[in-house]
Amino acid sequence: MHGLDLLSWILWMPIIGVIGVLLIPKEQTTSMKWWALINTVITFVLTIVLYSKFDQSVAGMQPGLSVNIPWIPQFHINYALGVDGISLPMILLTSLLFMLCILSSWTQIKKSIKAYFALLLLLQSTVFGVFMAMDFFLFYVYWEVMLLPMFFLIGVWGGENREYAAVKFFLYTFFGSLLMLVGIVALYFATGQSETSFSILALQGGHFTDLTLKLFGASVSFSKLFFIFMFIGFAIKVPVFPFHTWLPHAHVQAPTAISVILAGVLLKMGTYGFLRIAFPIFPDSAKYFAEAIAWLGLINVIYGALCAMAQTDVKKLIAYSSVSHMGFVMLGLASMTVQGMNGAVLQMFNHGTSTAMMFFMIGIIYERSHHRYIVRPDGSRGFGGLYTQLPVYSIIFIIGMFASMGLPGMSGFISEALIFLGMYEKYTTITVLALFGLLIGAAYLLWMFKRMFFGEVNPEVKEYTDMTKLEVGYMIPLCIAVIVFGIFPSPILNMMKASVGQLVSLLATF
Amino acid sequence: MYLNYLASISRYIPELLLVMLMVGLILIETTYANDDKNKRYIFITAISGLVVTFISLLLNLDGKSETIFNNSMVIDSFSTTMKMIMVLGTLGAYYLSTISKEIYESLKTEFIIMAIGILIGGMILASANNMLMMYIGIETLSIISYVMAALKKNDERSSEAGLKYALYGGISSGIMLFGMSHIFGVIGTIQFTGMAANIAKLDHTQILIMMPSFVLFFAGIGYKIAAVPFHMWSPDVYEGSPTPVTTFFAIVPKLAGISALVRVTMIFFSTASPLSVMWVGLMMVIAALTMTVGNVSAIGQKSVKRMLAYSSISHAGIMIAGLVVLNKIGIQAIVFYSMIYLFMTLVAFYITNIVQDKYGNDHFERFQGLAYRYPYMAIMMSIVMFSLTGLPPLAGFVAKWNIINSLLSSKFYTLAIVLVLNSVVSAYYYLKIVRLMTLKQPESTEEIEGFGFLNQFIIVAMTAPVIILGIFWDSVMNIAYNAKLFIP
Repeated sequence: MHGLDLLSWILWMPIIGVIGVLLIPKEQTTSMKWWALINTVITFVLTIVLYSKFDQSVAGMQPGLSVNIPWIPQFHINYALGVDGISLPMILLTSLLFMLCILSSWTQIKKSIKAYFALLLLLQSTVFGVFMAMDFFLFYVYWEVMLLPMFFLIGVWGGENREYAAVKFFLYTFFGSLLMLVGIVALYFATGQSETSFSILALQGGHFTDLTLKLFGASVSFSKLFFIFMFIGFAIKVPVFPFHTWLPHAHVQAPTAISVILAGVLLKMGTYGFLRIAFPIFPDSAKYFAEAIAWLGLINVIYGALCAMAQTDVKKLIAYSSVSHMGFVMLGLASMTVQGMNGAVLQMFNHGTSTAMMFFMIGIIYERSHHRYIVRPDGSRGFGGLYTQLPVYSIIFIIGMFASMGLPGMSGFISEALIFLGMYEKYTTITVLALFGLLIGAAYLLWMFKRMFFGEVNPEVKEYTDMTKLEVGYMIPLCIAVIVFGIFPSPILNMMKASVGQLVSLLATF
Repeated sequence: MYLNYLASISRYIPELLLVMLMVGLILIETTYANDDKNKRYIFITAISGLVVTFISLLLNLDGKSETIFNNSMVIDSFSTTMKMIMVLGTLGAYYLSTISKEIYESLKTEFIIMAIGILIGGMILASANNMLMMYIGIETLSIISYVMAALKKNDERSSEAGLKYALYGGISSGIMLFGMSHIFGVIGTIQFTGMAANIAKLDHTQILIMMPSFVLFFAGIGYKIAAVPFHMWSPDVYEGSPTPVTTFFAIVPKLAGISALVRVTMIFFSTASPLSVMWVGLMMVIAALTMTVGNVSAIGQKSVKRMLAYSSISHAGIMIAGLVVLNKIGIQAIVFYSMIYLFMTLVAFYITNIVQDKYGNDHFERFQGLAYRYPYMAIMMSIVMFSLTGLPPLAGFVAKWNIINSLLSSKFYTLAIVLVLNSVVSAYYYLKIVRLMTLKQPESTEEIEGFGFLNQFIIVAMTAPVIILGIFWDSVMNIAYNAKLFIP
């Protein structure tokens, strides 16, 4: 062996960061922050190196980058990592957002700074683990370990009702992932406990179409039952409609950086799970349930948008807009066409950048106002006339908002257009209805904007200062991302084209 | 004949060592107990005795499996492994007893001596190869336990615990004896080996009689494990007894009961027969009930000790679930689970006891803000709680995973799903402690004397396996894998 390979470096670099943070004495908070920042910058550079080494013509895992080391030989569990066109955009997004989150936490986090940065970096490593793991057991371990830092990050540094939010988040996700665990073990035995029984790649391809099992004496299709199990596991994370109730609480209570991570990266883990695991392993059931998934996606789009419209807390509004936007991803997945799937993966990336922007912006204004009311409980306006007082803030906010709305020329537009293109022929009704979701989306965002930025200037707004250099600094990369990928999305589309195409053609054979 | 006995003795050294240790300690205690300084000697003698026993068990581990004393005991790697876990559990309880304030100073030596007695009972139970030995094992275990539960003589709850334990214990061992006599009546022998052979020859009527008899027989063991519906005593006894005693109860009698249950199940029911179908059905129901009742009852508790008592009931349920597959994979999973359970239980009770000593009670609120005063202890407690929940990469997850693994290898999907749903329920109350420790501010800044450097070090050392075995578990899995049950 020639030392660690690139993927392991990316995966373990944040852990090196954790160790460093723990070794720095408690009082030296500035050096701790610098250390965390340098660490995430190194990780980001490494992911750029990964991007430069990426061969876009390969559909499967990148052969030169994959790792496979036995971990528990007795059960054929391996430390297997890999990267393909679906996971690479997510890895890039993760390393970018975490770097920016360190910057945004620079002044916003005031208590237990040491623990905060250690947990944040630990979270980064586990997220990388989820996106890289090619061993089902390893995937599950990372999927679960991610709960620990999240629980504390929401619970300790969150808002007033943080405990409830943290526990709800934990229990929901834990429930879903345990169902997935049963599926993992069942697959292990269904494939005869062989060398490749935990290999996600070897399980793919619909080997379980004809298998049945007995449940309470009734014969049940193996594939359908465990597709549902895994669906619930991933759907909770997305979150798909009936399982979404944890999200508004977690988002509202979490500190800014964590909301950004939650919306920007963690929600994508759910849809990534569909793309990587549920769909390719059970393609027949995915096909069977496709229409149901599409309807659920539609409910997400419409219901999320309507809920967002009713909110008076701007952070909750954006949280519900995430529900709505993730619905588009589900629609793209359910279409199972090349355009739809590409659109879904692109939307995963674009939503990551645009929602991250919105949450950052809300965090920035919250630091000045210490409230987030669009309309206060007594009916008066929480903000008003921000536009005249904070011009820089307003411009960046507008960019983020338009990207989130899906205005042509911004990143959200391309992915949503692709999704609609991909699904129109298959689900015409749903497409038409989903378009209304887009309309409502524009409505609630503009309405919010009007109430916050225009109109009479609130007296307290006059005291707010505009964005600091640091704040502008960490918003610029995201501004560039939403504009550049809105005009010129091909770098990301080329990245995923081959891998998504392979998945679509696999699904087409069933 | 006599020579036979003597030849067997070489395999029986660990038990004999313990008996001698117990007698020796009684002698020392009666002679020198007046001086506080001597107590330390008693303690050191006891610990070194246990260590020697542990080593002799270790030497026994590789020897060939055989029956000794005319088939009445069996020494195999399974029983030896379980005994080793029990000895370690006793060691853990010993150290806790010396630092705990819950046992009166004057009675600490008595705790040590009685614990050896119970340990001997547990070892007999783990090795028993006929009905009589099993009964003797259970009774040795029980009778001393009754006294030990009431160790806090002047405390109302402790006395209540002792009485409750004795009443329940008396009834259930009576029921067990009744079942045993039935079985003996039908089969005509009390030797497990002979019984298993005879069971195959029974006709339909006799099998019908055997079914309820085995259910009655189960009552005795189920009571020791605190399996539902024989669990009623357990929370009261666990809460009322001094914490070191509780720790000891949660480990030694429980694991002894589990190993007896494993042996009985594997000897009588591992071959397909109507009886085995009945037994597997019974075990499934009991496992599901034990898990669920334990977890659901734990939710509303105010006392951490009581919560841990209910949680240990549910963990016993999970171990029983590993039984229904009737094969090696299941046993392996149970042995592995026992090892992990040992460490998790010890750490949880250690920290609970130290907190309780400080504040006089063990309500959940006492853990508030522990992370801000004793961060390492709060981290260790959190790790153990997450491990009990079954979160990777901690050992508790691997243990649970092995049980699920064994269940699904024989296609017990329903039980596996019941198990994972229970994990979610348990996550709620385990998280409650973590939540209080980390998310709340401390109510006082007073120092907790129990968390001295040495104690913290020991707690960290006991938590280490919980983390390490969660990541590199194949070596310990091999120990569990080698724990083979010998069926002559």
